Amino acid sequence: MKSIRRCQSIITLFLVIFIAGMSVLVIKINREAPFYMMHSDKHELGMVYDRSGDVLFDGLHKGTYEDNHFLDIGNLIGDDSGQMENTLVAQNIDKLNNYSFSAGLVREGGKAAIYTTLNHAANRAVYDAYMGAKGCTVAYNYKTGEILVCTSLPSIDFTKGYENIGSLESGTLLSKAMCGTVPGSTQKVSTVISALEIMGPDLLFSKSYNCTGQYTNATGGTIDCHQSWGHGVQNIQQAVENSCNPFFAQLVEDPDMPLERIIEIYRKLGYAVNDDKPQFLDIDGIQCDRASTTLTNSSDFTTQWGCIGQGDTLVSPVQLMMWQSAIANGTGKMTIPHLIHHVTNVYGDTCDCAVTKYSDELFSPSTAETVKRILLTNGANHYTWSIPNYVVGVKSGTAQVMDGQEENSLLVGFLNDEQHPIAFCILIENKFTTGVTTEQIAVTLLNALCQ
Amino acid sequence: MSNPVSFIFSGLFVILAHGAMLMNIFFNGNYKNTGDLALLAAVVIGLDILFYIIMLFWKQNTYTVDFMLILILNMSTIFQASFGGVHMDKDVIKHIITCIAAIAASRLGFWLVRDYRRIQNRRAYIWAGIGFLMLVILVCCGRRSIWIDLGFITIQPSEFIKPLLVLACATSINEQQHKHKFLSFNIVWENVILFGVVAAVCLFQWWCRDLGSIPTFAAIYASGFLLRICYPKTKFSKKTLIAAISAVVLICGVGIYFAPDYVRARLFVDVWSDTNGDGYQQSQALIGIANGGWFGKGPGFGFLHNVFAHENDIVFATISEEWGLLYALMMTVVLLFICSSPLIFPPRSYFHGTMCAGICAAITVQMALNIFGSCNLIPFTGVTIPFISAGGSSMVTSGLMVGMLIAAQNPVFTKVKKKKKQGNSLLSPLKQRRSA
Repeated sequence: MKSIRRCQSIITLFLVIFIAGMSVLVIKINREAPFYMMHSDKHELGMVYDRSGDVLFDGLHKGTYEDNHFLDIGNLIGDDSGQMENTLVAQNIDKLNNYSFSAGLVREGGKAAIYTTLNHAANRAVYDAYMGAKGCTVAYNYKTGEILVCTSLPSIDFTKGYENIGSLESGTLLSKAMCGTVPGSTQKVSTVISALEIMGPDLLFSKSYNCTGQYTNATGGTIDCHQSWGHGVQNIQQAVENSCNPFFAQLVEDPDMPLERIIEIYRKLGYAVNDDKPQFLDIDGIQCDRASTTLTNSSDFTTQWGCIGQGDTLVSPVQLMMWQSAIANGTGKMTIPHLIHHVTNVYGDTCDCAVTKYSDELFSPSTAETVKRILLTNGANHYTWSIPNYVVGVKSGTAQVMDGQEENSLLVGFLNDEQHPIAFCILIENKFTTGVTTEQIAVTLLNALCQ
Repeated sequence: MSNPVSFIFSGLFVILAHGAMLMNIFFNGNYKNTGDLALLAAVVIGLDILFYIIMLFWKQNTYTVDFMLILILNMSTIFQASFGGVHMDKDVIKHIITCIAAIAASRLGFWLVRDYRRIQNRRAYIWAGIGFLMLVILVCCGRRSIWIDLGFITIQPSEFIKPLLVLACATSINEQQHKHKFLSFNIVWENVILFGVVAAVCLFQWWCRDLGSIPTFAAIYASGFLLRICYPKTKFSKKTLIAAISAVVLICGVGIYFAPDYVRARLFVDVWSDTNGDGYQQSQALIGIANGGWFGKGPGFGFLHNVFAHENDIVFATISEEWGLLYALMMTVVLLFICSSPLIFPPRSYFHGTMCAGICAAITVQMALNIFGSCNLIPFTGVTIPFISAGGSSMVTSGLMVGMLIAAQNPVFTKVKKKKKQGNSLLSPLKQRRSA
């Protein structure tokens, strides 16, 4: 009988292996069935809502909406046409699938939906405030990471189709907030953070450099100041307020600011320095550029401009906004932004609720507090008339693009208000062609979010 | 008949099961005219009744596997006839004929191996049969093909090697005790021959580009090999076992390394990035299963019937889509029950035990290759699911093997006039006492 049992053991072995395989298969199918269905031509998509229930995407295509209802969020939310890949719908289409393995494909009454953190009314107000100018604005709650506004111009109302896709302006089908741009003097915030981390506040505030309107560095390169007659002798606070280029060129060249340490801190901040591999943020599936620059020699023209905000430096508006959160929070840790508040499945059950996450410590809390004070002072001294009624810490910037033919205007900052902890980045492209200023956009933004 | 009540109720159960399936088609299925459905019902129920009548003439200890066989065969007929809508075309009629052939083959298998001595004394014919089939493939099949096209029917000769290999493993098991000194090694010549034959068959399959069958042959041999290790007085060392496993791993590695491009493409294909190329069938199969859900779209209401080889290579997915994954799993359970029958009704001799293990290995590996392959768990091979997939050669050989399985549960032990050590060693101690 023992020999028969051996035969039975072999049979049992084969059966057990097969049954184990079948179990894996059933679990796999159960889990991945929505994914399979999304690859077929048989799917029913649900809705995307803003934080107050306003529709941002209608997968059923059955609702009626006012003209250009989706224009302000068109290139962020996107659709299922396949024309825009780096959008919320395209990257989370499986979450909108009104299908489950048990219920099958639900053609009517499916409740699969994405509830975003966006404030559609505020988004629309900011979009309208551009008055036809191009650019983008992104704002989020720096305590929770909820993206409240993210608009990019020009945009598209995807419900009108893509018949005129060939004649669309460049940048229409992407959210510029997610793309690297020349940061201009907003880059000086990163340089101030680096200087504070390297020297400490006492040494940095004890330093002063003279600006005569132009600075010739050790290699013979000249760094021009936007104020041709110069700012005279300044300390770091004055230099930030004046956005003085020669001051920062001399700061970078200072022996107390070794380049290796600057590179180290820049990398911590998220820059891809020199030949580093570019890094990206993932915001609910949407790929967002971070920052990159070239830093080779403290006395090098490109390196100095890189720390000032020109040269090879590129930073995405979202990244600029996130650094503001690390400053505003006073922790040196960025709040990671998110667009999806929660998701409901085909039955309407809530799943995938957002959780606030923070980055590693980029710089010390004392540095964060010092930079926060510098920016708040800048806001108090220079922006109380243009952004009234709000206590803001800000840094403006002007970035030369298209070989100096165009200038973009930027404003990064945060609202120092416990009730409305908002960090933002505003970009207006080719500022000379429009009468709109970043401050006006900021006022519209803060009014829409705070009132 | 040992238990007529059981016989009657088992029969009723099978008829009710088929009746329920036919009713499902009637209420939820896709059929253009009721005549086709009525004809299908008549064929299925008629075949059920005919089978019971035939079975009355066969004396057996148990009929459980027989009932499972007719259950799965007519389930298969109903599935095949309802894919894409009930139809009784020539393909379905061909399938019904192959089902009848499978029943006949099962009776043949039963008769052949019920008395182990009958086959044991004729094992030279088994070796000759394997050699003959390989020769037939070499001569009759097109260059590097696995099919013989007779015009009205195509035959896959390699399928018939499977039961012969099972029998070769089982009939040579007692040779374990006959070791011969060769150089400084103790050699069992029949083991060497068997290994050589299996290696030759596998290489031949490789040459014929029928790589999907190799795991089945390997599994049959592996089950026999494991039982050889366990054979009394074999004294198979652990070192030898480790060496054997290492050799298998090495052979697999070398095989993959030198595999032709079309094989490598299947091994490493990402079906979702190539849904119109190499990943077409698998991606469509998975979409079909997802489309069907637990309870299916309804018989005949799927889309997979438009996909090539829906009735054999991806038949599990086609059934899942139209009948639901639950039904497809139930179908699998029936096949597993057939395979596990030796656990409930133990074979009475080591010969029959080895044979059952080989058959179980062949059926489970074929099921695994088809189901897991079509669902992208393992590389896609195109092997059939026994009794479910359309295909005459597979159906007949599967029937033959199940008949052998039934024989193991209803063995006949002819009395030996002269007591021989060699012969008796094949019987379990229990049977040895009975024989004495």
